[in-house]
Amino acid sequence: MHISLKKEIERSNAGRVGLSLLLLVIAAAVLAPLLSSYDPGQQSVGSLLSPSGSHWLGTNHVGQDIWSQLLYGARTSLMVGFGVGIISLLLGILFGVSAALIGGLYDKIVMRVVDAFIVIPMVVVVILVAAYIKPDLPVLILLLAALSWQGGARVIRAQTLSLKESGHINASRMFGAGRFYVAWRHVLPDIVTILLVEFIYGVRRAVFMEAGLAFLGIGDPMLVSWGMMMRDAMSFSYLDVWQWWLVPAGVALSLTIIGLTFVSHAAEAALDPRLRGAEVA
Amino acid sequence: MLEISNLQVSYGNDIVLNGVDLRLSGGESLAIIGESGTGKTTLGLSIMRLTEGKVRGSIRFDEKDLLTLSDGEMQAIRWNRVAMVFQNVNNVLNPVHSILDQVAEPMIEHKLRNKDEARTKAGELLEQFGLSQKRFSAYPHQLSGGEQQRVLLAMALANEPDLLILDEPLSSLDVITRGELGDLLRTVGNHRARLVITHDLDTASRLADNLAVLYGGKIVEIGPTREILQRPRHPYTKALLRAYPNMTTVKDLQGIKGRMTRPVSGCPFHPRCTQAIDICSETIPPLTWSQGRGVACHRGGIVTLLSVANLSKAFNSLKAVDSVNLHIESGETLALVGQSGSGKTTLAKTIMGVYPQFDGTVYLEGEKVTSYGKDFYKRVQMIFQNPGESLSHRLSVLESVMEPLEIQAIGTEEQRREKAIQTIGEVELSRSDDFLHTYPHHLSGGELQRVAIARALVLDPDLLIADEPTAFLDASVGAKVLKLLLNLQEHRGLSMLYITHDIAAARKVSDRIAVMLDGRIIEEGPSNMIVTAPEQSYTQHLLGSASSLHLDNYT
Repeated sequence: MHISLKKEIERSNAGRVGLSLLLLVIAAAVLAPLLSSYDPGQQSVGSLLSPSGSHWLGTNHVGQDIWSQLLYGARTSLMVGFGVGIISLLLGILFGVSAALIGGLYDKIVMRVVDAFIVIPMVVVVILVAAYIKPDLPVLILLLAALSWQGGARVIRAQTLSLKESGHINASRMFGAGRFYVAWRHVLPDIVTILLVEFIYGVRRAVFMEAGLAFLGIGDPMLVSWGMMMRDAMSFSYLDVWQWWLVPAGVALSLTIIGLTFVSHAAEAALDPRLRGAEVA
Repeated sequence: MLEISNLQVSYGNDIVLNGVDLRLSGGESLAIIGESGTGKTTLGLSIMRLTEGKVRGSIRFDEKDLLTLSDGEMQAIRWNRVAMVFQNVNNVLNPVHSILDQVAEPMIEHKLRNKDEARTKAGELLEQFGLSQKRFSAYPHQLSGGEQQRVLLAMALANEPDLLILDEPLSSLDVITRGELGDLLRTVGNHRARLVITHDLDTASRLADNLAVLYGGKIVEIGPTREILQRPRHPYTKALLRAYPNMTTVKDLQGIKGRMTRPVSGCPFHPRCTQAIDICSETIPPLTWSQGRGVACHRGGIVTLLSVANLSKAFNSLKAVDSVNLHIESGETLALVGQSGSGKTTLAKTIMGVYPQFDGTVYLEGEKVTSYGKDFYKRVQMIFQNPGESLSHRLSVLESVMEPLEIQAIGTEEQRREKAIQTIGEVELSRSDDFLHTYPHHLSGGELQRVAIARALVLDPDLLIADEPTAFLDASVGAKVLKLLLNLQEHRGLSMLYITHDIAAARKVSDRIAVMLDGRIIEEGPSNMIVTAPEQSYTQHLLGSASSLHLDNYT
């Protein structure tokens, strides 16, 4: 009955690998100033330098230290990822739980809005909107969040609906509990694992979207980001610099997304014992 | 013939009778019932002017106030016009005289007859009461209790009194003798006014056409015996009936909470009453008459706690509940019996306001329920079939029981805790810290249901709707839960709507049974009537299929 999510994730190999990767990226982002001696925006002596003792991964076309850019790029990725994850989760909870508990016309309206958003191809909309408004970091986070809470809301609503008919919530209503109390005291604690899975999923998608937008050159050009690094590196693909410019950025992005994927897989398996496979036997 | 008004008797500071009004005409019979210590015997003794207490008010007998008569005048009335048979036969008869002499004595003493005539008359009386001539010369110690009682009755009738006061006339007798003597008293005493003082409902209903219920020195209910016993209107009368083992009712015996205390301000019964309100402890309720019945209760007698009128609930085209009318009185159990799919649970849920839309009206204490909110749920609570499901697996026992208080925002955290622990004790669960912090999946079914009951009761509701509370339990555990519910009813005066498919269980726990079929109530009445004389063939069918040990299969 009680699923200890932490334990379950730590128990699976994928979970352990995923968590390690994630921790690695987080450490890089947090410790960036300590791990590098250059400001990622600072233009140093020469451009397109090869890796050396002072510039581990060389410098880019405007003479910025690539290693610093890689570390600070993790900050951007994670900030966008977690920012979007949290906001879209909150929106998902707000609309999903309220739609399920209030029901009626309100439920219908919310769900139709959700449907409408889901059928719109998100990538295209984001690209169009971003190209038009040239978002800085907070606006980018809000934009991505506004377009990504719908799927979560739908799942949360479904879960809340099934919980709504369960005995203890029924009982709680019959002590005179209001919807807010029921949502806070009974629904959220019961769906906390699902929320976590939804959250990680949201983070992963946001990290990917941010990198993609930057790669396409949409967004704040002042922002250090893996996507932008790859884009810039691509223009110099005829030189050797791709080895220490393009590849590290691509690998960092891949590892982050793989890490998140592994953790969410492990969490999902923890939710549904049938997915645990041989471990049960 | 006898008219008692505002009679007050006190022994020192102890007021035993407090403002009793009674009227008795010739040939009428009235039984005074009540628990011991309510002042029944004092009432009889006061009429005879034999009480040592201080008597105030008036007792008029044939227009003369007995309380103001001189001793000599009273002598003339005592035994001649008014005779009393005392309780406790052993002390009353003189051990050194034969019984014939003792029966003849009052006639001789009052110079109504000469000695021979008196003895002849005494013999006739004794024979009338079933004592043969051989026994006339016997001494009291040679007689059985029943025979002594017969002698006393003969003595009381010797001077042909107009008013006969019988204090526990049949109590010390075995049931067979009781039946014989009861019949005899009815015929012999038929043309005399009789005042029967007893704690025994059987005696009262045998000997008297009218009944007065005495409690704490006051008459709380008075009226025709049959009607009172069929449908008591004072909470005390009802409680008394429930506590009385008999062959008529089928519900398990229940006591009355608390003990009689004196003195009490306001209504004498209010400390034990389950429907007492503020005014009950402040002023004494007057005896008010309606429909031939007098009831002394501020609330006008037993309150109808919940009633539903024309309640219907349809799911699309299916009428799950169809024009149901029901009422539940304060402190009673109504069992709703029917097979699954008959709409019992839907009815309960509709009453509980689970469905936003339904037809008909629900009244709580006469007031229409217009919205289901905290106020309603504080008074009406429900427990469910499956206790495991109705408790959250994330809340400990204590947290679960505290939840309703939290929702209703009652008291401080500390007070809630205390109240919850007290209630957990009340449902006979452990109050140890270990248990309080146990989670539901470590509890047995019986424990779970008790926790659920505690959680429902922690708000001190007036009505508990129990939907098949034992369906998921073993018979032995289920029996304990039912017993618990009965006890809680006794202590808290809880009204219950007990929903079950099992009429065998229903008759043990309910005062009334309503039989439900296809969304309708097809039959409703006192449990004993439904069980012994069902009118509907469906009810008969239900009874026929009810749990039984089927011993006749093995002959």
